[in-house]
Amino acid sequence: MINFVIAQVESLEDAASAESQVLDSVILGEQFYFFTVALMWLIHVGFMSYETGVARRKNALATAMKNILTIAVVTPSFYYFGWWIYNCNQPGLPIGPNSTDFTSAACQGGIPWSDLFGPNLTNNINLIFFLAFLLFSWTTASIMSGAVIERIRLSAYLLLAVMLGSAVWILDAAWGWSAGGWLTLRFGFHDAIASLVVHGIAGAFALGVVFNLGPRIGKYTREGLTRVFKPHNLHMTLMGLMLLFTGFYGFYAACLVIASTTFPGWANIYLSPTTLGSIAMIITFGFAGGFTGGYFASRGDPFWTISGGLAGVIGVSAGADVYAPTLGYLLAAATAALTVWAGQWIEVRMRVDDAVGAIAVHGVAGFLGVLWVGVFAAGYPTGLNNVDSSIGGQLMGMATFLPLGFLSGWGASLVLKKLGLLRVPLEVELDGLDVAEYVPDLYLPEIAKADEILVEPDGTEVGASQVLPGEARELVR
Amino acid sequence: MPAVIDSSPECVTNEVGTEDARVEDSADFVLQANYEDCAGFMTFGPGSVYGDEGTAAETAYYILTWLGIAFMVAALIAWVVFEHRHLIAYAAGHIRGGRGGTSA
Repeated sequence: MINFVIAQVESLEDAASAESQVLDSVILGEQFYFFTVALMWLIHVGFMSYETGVARRKNALATAMKNILTIAVVTPSFYYFGWWIYNCNQPGLPIGPNSTDFTSAACQGGIPWSDLFGPNLTNNINLIFFLAFLLFSWTTASIMSGAVIERIRLSAYLLLAVMLGSAVWILDAAWGWSAGGWLTLRFGFHDAIASLVVHGIAGAFALGVVFNLGPRIGKYTREGLTRVFKPHNLHMTLMGLMLLFTGFYGFYAACLVIASTTFPGWANIYLSPTTLGSIAMIITFGFAGGFTGGYFASRGDPFWTISGGLAGVIGVSAGADVYAPTLGYLLAAATAALTVWAGQWIEVRMRVDDAVGAIAVHGVAGFLGVLWVGVFAAGYPTGLNNVDSSIGGQLMGMATFLPLGFLSGWGASLVLKKLGLLRVPLEVELDGLDVAEYVPDLYLPEIAKADEILVEPDGTEVGASQVLPGEARELVR
Repeated sequence: MPAVIDSSPECVTNEVGTEDARVEDSADFVLQANYEDCAGFMTFGPGSVYGDEGTAAETAYYILTWLGIAFMVAALIAWVVFEHRHLIAYAAGHIRGGRGGTSA
């Protein structure tokens, strides 16, 4: 073994060679993305805790199972066709591995039978980069999951998760979140850390789904007024969001391209320069501004205060590669405040039952995020053609992705609805999904027997068993 | 002992370098000599050579990939069917008064 060590020391003489530097850089990149992947798992721990805490006690386990099984279906589907969509559709149409388009080399690595999808001594990056994108896909699907809890069938959710996580979002990423995407090349569309391409599109998709899914039984009175279903465990929800926030640092970092042997060592997804520190700074100021805006807009409501933090970060993500910290702070506060109002408007005026506020927090904030870039960060060369970011380019992206997200969610859920496969039967919803699908009750008997409380529009608290069966009978009639 | 399924690509050689490694354990660390003609070497893969990444897969790997796709689709369909039967049975039992509570 000592001979081996000596040989290694002698070989250090060559360490400064360009070839060694490139190899070191590649392996550093491989490690970097690996750790972002590990960190991004916390996003899913967070989503699970967040949604489970928001759910009523009778649906806690079903809600958590939905989040866990997202991973079971999005992972293979993203491998079998999602990565192909990203790598072979950037010009706007599918291209083949032998195309003359400059993205064809990436397309070659995107097909599931590429030999880059296994141990390959010529490429350390393809698989780990795929995994980073896979974690983005889980995140995108999980955004939709919160909006539909407590009444959607598990299987319907899983089919929709495959569609959103492995097809819809990654198509928009190909078009607007890649150096070769047509929105970037032609219009300078700039969404560096995925305000719209992940969050906005998922919010639009979720809106399409809940239109067909309908509200939970009893969410609205017969006069159309709103009842409040109290989260069964608000602590779990708050902890889930804090875990999610931690995972967001991994998400942010994974959105960068690392090239340690080339100054400045980092680039955004469009291969324009930035630094890891600058985006970490913006995410942190995004939380600060978001919490502040959420707190004041909701008059101190804990749920909307912490959701405001998330909305704030999403609102500054699109320009996080170039924003000044103060601009990020102020934009995050504004985004969070607007999101709180949008969330209340969606719930009360539109009568859309989104249990976790995902459509507002991810959808509205996501679209605002790219709008802010057009207003406050125009003039930054974006993409391989170096087209300046502009309000026109941002609006072009919004006009493309809003129908892509909404119509695909609406259409797919409409088909499931027509087939009678979208929503659980009324009896199951009343008794709770846990008792029908899993176990009688997740909690100890003395807790399980307690009636759950809901808040009527006039603020009075009543036992749910006094209200919901009557609302269900009304629905049957 | 012969392998049950030898799925390594042909470009992976065997035994090369092991003799040197026994003599001086420094040589051929991780037995790279066995892989020097091979870039991608996953099971059933095409075994592409250096500088020729992304070459067409062999039949066995196409079959393996399509098996995976078929399993994924079958699992999704099974999820739908299994849950549908389960929920309908529960609702039917509820109507008969045989199970389920009324806790909202």
